[in-house]
Amino acid sequence: MAREIYAYKCRLCGTLHYPFRMVCKECKQNDFFEFDTVPLPKAGTLVTWTRVYNLPAQYEVATLGLGIVELENGMRMLGQLEISEPELGMAVIGNVEVVRKEPYDDYYGMVFRAA
Amino acid sequence: MRDVYVAGIGITTFTRLEYPLSEIASYASMMALKDAGVTEVDQVYVANMGSPRVNHQTALASAVVDSLSLMPAGAAAIENGPASGASAIKAGFQAVASGMEDVVLVAGVERMREVNNLEATDFVATLTHPLAEYIYGVTLPAHAAMFTRMYMDRYGVTERHLAMVGVKNQNAALNNVWAHLQQEITLEGILDSPEAMTNNPYVAEPLRFFDACPVSDGGAALVLVSEEKARELGRPMIRITGVGQATDTHAVFEREDPTDLLAVRKAAKDAFAMAGLSPSDVDVAELHDAFTILEIVESEEVGFFPKGEGHIALEKGETALGGSIPINVGGGLKGRGHPVGATGVAQAWEIVTQLRGDGEARQVEGARIGFTCNFGGFGNNVVCLTFVRED
Amino acid sequence: MSVDLEKILRPVDTPMKPYEPKYMLLASGEAVVVRQVERDEIPDLLKHVEPLLHVERDFYDVVAARVYSELLAHYRHRYQDQYVLAVQIDGELAAIVNGRQVTPKLGMSLHTLALRRGLRVGAHAFAAKMEYHIDTLGHDEVLIVAESPIGFRRWMIEYKLEKRFDIPHELGGVPSWALTRELFDRARSSLVVGRRPVPDELLDKAMAAILPPSDPPTPPLDPLAATRSMYDPTATSLMAQRWEMEGRSADA
Repeated sequence: MAREIYAYKCRLCGTLHYPFRMVCKECKQNDFFEFDTVPLPKAGTLVTWTRVYNLPAQYEVATLGLGIVELENGMRMLGQLEISEPELGMAVIGNVEVVRKEPYDDYYGMVFRAA
Repeated sequence: MRDVYVAGIGITTFTRLEYPLSEIASYASMMALKDAGVTEVDQVYVANMGSPRVNHQTALASAVVDSLSLMPAGAAAIENGPASGASAIKAGFQAVASGMEDVVLVAGVERMREVNNLEATDFVATLTHPLAEYIYGVTLPAHAAMFTRMYMDRYGVTERHLAMVGVKNQNAALNNVWAHLQQEITLEGILDSPEAMTNNPYVAEPLRFFDACPVSDGGAALVLVSEEKARELGRPMIRITGVGQATDTHAVFEREDPTDLLAVRKAAKDAFAMAGLSPSDVDVAELHDAFTILEIVESEEVGFFPKGEGHIALEKGETALGGSIPINVGGGLKGRGHPVGATGVAQAWEIVTQLRGDGEARQVEGARIGFTCNFGGFGNNVVCLTFVRED
Repeated sequence: MSVDLEKILRPVDTPMKPYEPKYMLLASGEAVVVRQVERDEIPDLLKHVEPLLHVERDFYDVVAARVYSELLAHYRHRYQDQYVLAVQIDGELAAIVNGRQVTPKLGMSLHTLALRRGLRVGAHAFAAKMEYHIDTLGHDEVLIVAESPIGFRRWMIEYKLEKRFDIPHELGGVPSWALTRELFDRARSSLVVGRRPVPDELLDKAMAAILPPSDPPTPPLDPLAATRSMYDPTATSLMAQRWEMEGRSADA
């Protein structure tokens, strides 16, 4: 089963949100359960990136690539990068994979590779 | 609204402090109370970010008020990430301005070196968005690095500009006995020599080791009082004239333009408006340089320089001691250290020291108007303050 | 017939190619010289190692105690095939590294002791030691352990060492890690620096004498002493603490 990361669409004004919030940023209507889930696109372009050397204690790798990607629909998200020489503006494609392991839990998130 | 004055200030050395957290807060507080000449207070606010997680201690304000024998004064801890310090000052300001209290002790404290560096990095990273940022392994250096790369691309900031901020602030700390780093660095040593890239390795590309503040323990404290009480105590009349606070989206990528720090802009604008001042009136400023890029960007967002020109002002020496707007003359977070909960209070401590004329080798001549910017999250919760010497 | 016991007890050192000195600039802009220390200079090092025995932080006490014993044993001919490199700033001792040759193809790293902090002197010294093993002595790999968390992060993470857990290291019998020639070549561009030859003036200064470190690590002084003494015009709190450190009682 292909995993997805979801954006949240306001049922009142149609605005897409990622990450999830309880009240719509645009129309500020305060009804409960007013969002529909919409899968985020996987393709996009790299807005910025870094390679981190001092990682939190849980990580056993020496460096970790991170970047912000502007997705096809104009929304942005942060993800891990599996790209050896990242460049600003390059086309990337995401896949939902394990991005963090805790002793008893795996956390899934978007991992981007060169498109 | 009543006017609010800073009657007393105190600080501990910023370094690794092998003392209980409440004791560090209490030392800074004792200095501030002694400086103000008061032994009784109405309310205590303790700014701290990590005590439950890092030091396994909760209800810190109760511990501090007890250690200082200030019972039965009201007491509460304020946790607002790296902006905890100025947030506590704001709470103290509101308490006095409202007329509810006459004497408020505000202490900021952090003891991060109780755990190792990797755990401290993870602890600070918990302020990021739990599901959209933290799970990916994002740290504050990573946020600052991604921000820096966009800023370099758009405004022509280079690694040399970042290194210049680092050299300026770390060497300024040599004039501040309370500062953590007491080691001179040079551009040649961290940027130009064949060995520089090994002396100054990446922590998160394009940010390097000397672009980041050290992990420090420390405490700082202020005594805030009403005008009547201030005149009675007879200390220099330093008034907090402007308070601005603003927030922005939790996830950095969600901002319309992630290179804009709107919360800094709004907090500074509100503080200046409340004080009836403009950025050009400021004689000395403390900006939140947890990473060198932040001093450059904040100097633009608060209004000292137009957007994209902070690094040019830096090149001209305008932000150094003797320049048109000296920034972080006591070392800033980079040189003084950054015990997160204490930083906002330590910035105010430096400004009050300057306005009192007690800055010694780092004194900005004739300083009468000071400004602080305490930057929480990665720009999602910012508090700016203005201080004016009145007598 | 008398037995020459000394002849039995004294190890015969294998001739080892000397380390060619190098120099580099630190973050502070100061020039440091890395050079080999001869046996007759060991007492000059020992007197600067001894005070660190009492620095109960960052494993200075453990590392200094072991370095002291290794250097002393080397000086008194009770340690086989040991070498010692010193890092000096303007003659002043900034770091000591040592190690030994196990076989002509295998080296063993002993200790890295930094006497200046905050300038990556220890990292430079460690890199020089690896350079000596791999490039000068031609070892295929070097066995390493870390005794302090600082050491572990530097060596294990920066050089991404390989496990040799079947080999107990001479330092404490703990499982070894190894820096191979291949790993060293990969780290070379980012971690190994230095220029040769050392200008005469710098080298002469370094060779002339090993001067005392100007700012060595000290036992954890009460870090709040300055705060306390602010309202202690006679500075009694600082003085009492100093006396305690010197083993004198305050009321003596």
